[in-house]
Amino acid sequence: MKDKAFGVLQRVGRSFMLPITLLPVAGLLLGIGSSFTNETTLETYGLTSIIKEGGVLYTILDIMSKTGSAVFDNLALLFAMGVAIGMAKAEKAVAALSSAISYLIMNTAVSALITAKGGAEAMAENSTTQVLGITTLQMGVFGGIVVGLGCAALHNRFYQTELPQMLSFFGGTRFVPIICSLVYLVVGVMMFFVWPIIQNAISHLGELVLNSGYAGTWIYGIIERALIPFGLHHVFYMPFWQTELGGSMMIDGSLVSGAQNIFFAELASKSTEHFSVSATRFMSGKFPFMIFGLPAAAFAMYRAARGEKKKQVGGLLLSAALTSMLTEITEPLEFTFLFVAPLMYVVHCVLAGLSYMLMHIFNVGVGMTFSGGIIDLTLFGILQGNDKTNWVWIVIVGLFYAVIYYFVFYFMITKLNLKTPGREDDDGESKLYTRADYNSKTAKDSKDTVSALILKGLGGKENISDLDCCATRLRVTVNLPSAVDEKLLKQSGAAGVIKKGNGIQVIYGPQVSVIKSKLDTFIESKASDNLEELLSEDFSDIASDKNTLKPDLDSEKTFILGAPVSGKAMPLEEVKDDAFSQGILGEGAAIEPGDGRIYSPCDGKIDAMFDTLHAVNIISDSGCEILIHIGIDTVHLGGKYFTSHVGSGETVKRGQLLVSFDIKKIKDAGFEVTTPIVVCNADEFGSVKALRFGKIKANDDFISIE
Amino acid sequence: MKKFDYTITNEVGIHARPAGLLVQKVKEFDSTVTIEKDGASCKASKLIALMGLGVKQGDTVTVSIEGSDEQTAAVELERFFKENL
Repeated sequence: MKDKAFGVLQRVGRSFMLPITLLPVAGLLLGIGSSFTNETTLETYGLTSIIKEGGVLYTILDIMSKTGSAVFDNLALLFAMGVAIGMAKAEKAVAALSSAISYLIMNTAVSALITAKGGAEAMAENSTTQVLGITTLQMGVFGGIVVGLGCAALHNRFYQTELPQMLSFFGGTRFVPIICSLVYLVVGVMMFFVWPIIQNAISHLGELVLNSGYAGTWIYGIIERALIPFGLHHVFYMPFWQTELGGSMMIDGSLVSGAQNIFFAELASKSTEHFSVSATRFMSGKFPFMIFGLPAAAFAMYRAARGEKKKQVGGLLLSAALTSMLTEITEPLEFTFLFVAPLMYVVHCVLAGLSYMLMHIFNVGVGMTFSGGIIDLTLFGILQGNDKTNWVWIVIVGLFYAVIYYFVFYFMITKLNLKTPGREDDDGESKLYTRADYNSKTAKDSKDTVSALILKGLGGKENISDLDCCATRLRVTVNLPSAVDEKLLKQSGAAGVIKKGNGIQVIYGPQVSVIKSKLDTFIESKASDNLEELLSEDFSDIASDKNTLKPDLDSEKTFILGAPVSGKAMPLEEVKDDAFSQGILGEGAAIEPGDGRIYSPCDGKIDAMFDTLHAVNIISDSGCEILIHIGIDTVHLGGKYFTSHVGSGETVKRGQLLVSFDIKKIKDAGFEVTTPIVVCNADEFGSVKALRFGKIKANDDFISIE
Repeated sequence: MKKFDYTITNEVGIHARPAGLLVQKVKEFDSTVTIEKDGASCKASKLIALMGLGVKQGDTVTVSIEGSDEQTAAVELERFFKENL
């Protein structure tokens, strides 16, 4: 259980990589753009004559600044989609779409409730924001992550779910955006009530900071770092930077409130002899750990990586470290260990807090535009002179921090065997985990012969240039139409094939979206590389006999049948019908049903759905002849109380609903509903045995055939 | 090859229990036994195919027996049909 949770966390951490890789570029645009369009900065350096509003240079810088902040403003949406893509097992595009729409729906639900309450003015200060024009609660990246994770979970649960025939158009991938939207409508309503409580608690922490001196600065630093993953840090630090909570001061005759405002007012003032540390204590602490500490931590992770992986993770860590130092954005580096080694993040928070406190003690007065990297250190520290800022202490403490971060992190990683990048178990990859997911899945799905047939019928992977589906058909663009084999396609269950030049349409009916997603998975898998082998193994007679889908028996393999119904599993001998209990009809087991729905135990074809609907024969893709018989002597009911969901000759997938029945009415009519499931051609296999007895859920692994 | 026609009297037709018994009986012989109904036919040793024919009360089936012991098999099978089907 612990390992499983850990594995999921690791994957979550890695799924952040996609949006994170965009941040350095955006940070650079925003950093340069905003620094040189900032009126205060321009005036301080006498650049107003070269860069002025409306001028070409100013406009270019303004574009850089605004496009950069477009990324940061919509980071939550990027995370919602990025996480969904990273966590979805297949059909990632659908997960991303669902996540994007769910994020909009969640925020719109919140927005409607805010309006109902009287608009943003009626909410607590700094608690609301604009997301894509929607007035909503300030939830930061956390809001996006909640959506991304939830949508990925819903997606993985439902993207291959088939709905009853009548609704099957909405099945599979098409169902995912629908269910996600509905769920996040509800989540949005919940957020409106829950989130302000959390925000309120956070803003009260500010009072604690103000009343505790140096220790208060330390607490401020710890809290600010710890809140970053939840997007709550804005609620926390903005009041310090922008309101009287961070202090008020008379500068050149006007009253200025807020730490950052005070710093920039002093920067503009000619009379400043030393920047007010009472204001910069909420900023200067970032420099030592961002420029020195975190890059050293990255080096520790590099050193701790296993030999053969060093090269691979080196690039990742180096770019993350440079991003932290230059563009002042730490998330790429922090997120590499936040999820795989949360303990390291705790240590990082404590050290970061300490950094703020040390800067306070050493009277360092360096401010910043938005974060603490080399650019801001140069502009607002070094260029201002040591007399005004004491910036030298940043370097002294910073070097010290580099050593501490390196040794503490190296020690923790090696002693606690933390799985930082490059230290994963052998099957892990040091990037997104999805490839490994695919491969392990492949081992299980290598018997997906329907997909194999379709792929072969389409002339193999090389022949497909584009694959898509509409309501009822696979729409394929092929390179060589002559390589398409209609016979094979029809054997895969197609109702018809239409050829128009390079465009091929294979008609399957409404369940096509499920067929397509399975085909996609199959094409991605390793099994599809050995198409010939796979088919010759299972379909050696296919070329000569086009009327049969029945594969040759493969006596060396083990097949598993799923439980056809939820209930209580029992040995066949206990069934009160000699035909079953004496094994006359074959070997197997039985279930006393707990509910009235029978599902297919395997992938295969319905050989016969009896007119009386109380029994169904299935020939599995692996060649087992399976009889599911609902109830004892229920043939006498003549079909009453039974409803079928498939017909003879249809292909079915494991877990697909076959028949439903009314347990109560059947029992009232005097019949037992005990349902035997037997393999009629058991003598062609080595052994048929039940894997478990007692309580069982439909589709649990039930019977093993060797 | 031996052949006989038989009209099913068993009220459930060739369903689970009788079908299972028939398959067991057929396997006692070396001969190949085929059952035909309305142009569809199957080997009587294949339970699932046999049930798939969907033979009901009142249907007439043709049973063909071919092989080394077809004489005895035909006699015994005809008796089996009368007793059980």
